Amino acid sequence: MTMTIARDAAVSRKRTSWYPYMLIAPTMITLCIVSLVPFIYAVYLSFHEAKYGRVTDFIWFDNYVKLLANGDFWNSMHVAGIFVAIAVPIEFMLGMAGALILNKGVMGRSILVPLLFIPTMMAPIVVGLLWKIMLAGSWGVISYNVIERFNILTGTSIFASEAYALYALIFIDIWQWTPFMMLAFFAGLQALPQGPYRAASVDGAGPVQIFFRLTLPLMAPLLFVIGLLRFIDAFKIFDTIFILTRGGPGTVTESPSLLAYKMTFDFWNIGEASALAVFVWIVFFVFCSVFYQIAKKKLNAF
Amino acid sequence: MSKDISLGIVVRTIIAVACALTILFPVIWMVSMMFKPADVMFARPTEFFFTPTLANFSYVIDNGFLLNLGTSLLLGIFSTVLVVLIGTPAAYAFARFEMKGKDDLFLFILASRMAPPVCLVIPFYLIYAQVGLLDTFLGLSLAYMTFNLSFYVWVLRSFCRDLPVELEEAAILEGWSKPQVFRRVVFPLLRNGIVATSVLCFIFAWNEFLFAFMLGGNSVQTLPVAIPKLITAQGVRWGEVAVVGVASLVPVLAVVVLLQRHIVRGLTMGAVKG
Repeated sequence: MTMTIARDAAVSRKRTSWYPYMLIAPTMITLCIVSLVPFIYAVYLSFHEAKYGRVTDFIWFDNYVKLLANGDFWNSMHVAGIFVAIAVPIEFMLGMAGALILNKGVMGRSILVPLLFIPTMMAPIVVGLLWKIMLAGSWGVISYNVIERFNILTGTSIFASEAYALYALIFIDIWQWTPFMMLAFFAGLQALPQGPYRAASVDGAGPVQIFFRLTLPLMAPLLFVIGLLRFIDAFKIFDTIFILTRGGPGTVTESPSLLAYKMTFDFWNIGEASALAVFVWIVFFVFCSVFYQIAKKKLNAF
Repeated sequence: MSKDISLGIVVRTIIAVACALTILFPVIWMVSMMFKPADVMFARPTEFFFTPTLANFSYVIDNGFLLNLGTSLLLGIFSTVLVVLIGTPAAYAFARFEMKGKDDLFLFILASRMAPPVCLVIPFYLIYAQVGLLDTFLGLSLAYMTFNLSFYVWVLRSFCRDLPVELEEAAILEGWSKPQVFRRVVFPLLRNGIVATSVLCFIFAWNEFLFAFMLGGNSVQTLPVAIPKLITAQGVRWGEVAVVGVASLVPVLAVVVLLQRHIVRGLTMGAVKG
């Protein structure tokens, strides 16, 4: 109690000072240069006819109209939608299962935990190459020893197969992020208060009941924040797709990031690419505000 | 002691170790590929046992990958130092002081972090082409600020909030000036947080591909960008890919061992205290 009063007094004493603004000035100026200026430039380009590196006429919303009429754009949204809708829930469930096991007690946990960070902390480009070694063609370690042997897919690489390429990429994403989810949920479980659990066991609640009635509601805000972060990350995936399929075969794995890249650097259609970038940017901004509000109100973490 | 080891914990340990080995199998395989001779690299049936060779290493060294390694290291350090110098005061200010429009400023920082890199790389490329920042250390470091500076300020702020405010108040009562308080009280207490957060920034810069690929070039070529050089007309030099891949993993492994508690905190943007 006395502590909060002291803090409030300290805060109010400094309220009118220019000191904090001086402290944040370098960061704010830098972020304006590296983040706001490119955004404004992208908005500017999106309102212009800009092809092959030449910016010509001001054309209002034509690029946006063209974008919304472009089948590739909707395809990329569809790809991202499938990707997120499959990958994120599976990562959640496997992550939670792993976290519960870790939390219940496992021998050698202090050795196991750091090892589980490796997939998440690896460079995505190396992740891509790693899985090429595992899965590509008839020479991949897993594709030769498992996929071909059991006649799941023969004669072609999984990354060149229209039916499976996207699912292979989803699988890789799950491989990369499930261990991290496990550790994040594990940290969340460890931070839970013990009181309600003692009360529940006195009342004779079973483990399933405790999980759904107690653990899940207590962890809900955290799950939501991690889910949103993962959603944002999965939506903007680029590196692994770029190195493994380049959006192909056809446009089967062409995520919005891949489409924007191709529009810019393969077709030099900068106006429409900028429109796509601005569109995605605004969608992300909305998600960020939601994330911020919830994290602030429910988690008290920020 | 022996009473503690129940059947349950043994079963759970076996499950956990089996899962961990399955998850890590590709990484372990890549490590073994470093020493694998080219002729049995993708032999069918797969050769699990082979005479190790160092040929892959010599190719990597002969083809200038040490230069790429140095570039990655230098760029990672340079960009991270910039981030620490610029971002530390801001993180402290956001944690401690009341400011007008603080929420909006903070949301702006978060949004910079979340923006898809591909959206940024298009305007960056066009602007850099005009001002001559393509293929320079400064240019790439600035581009890395978009995600690292915002990340750093956001996460370090959560470390700042863990510090007791009483020490600073006592120092103010002693008659110290505010910059003195920051330098002599806050900075030393914050050291662990600064190290943890900046090392994560270094890893993000170290792993980064798209900016380095588009805004770099022949003079600033990082390790992730150099890897595709191994895809030659004669086919992919997989042994060498494994060597470079493992080399890129070394700092990651160091971080994972040293900073494990803080990684979760960093990757959840401070939502989990770890």
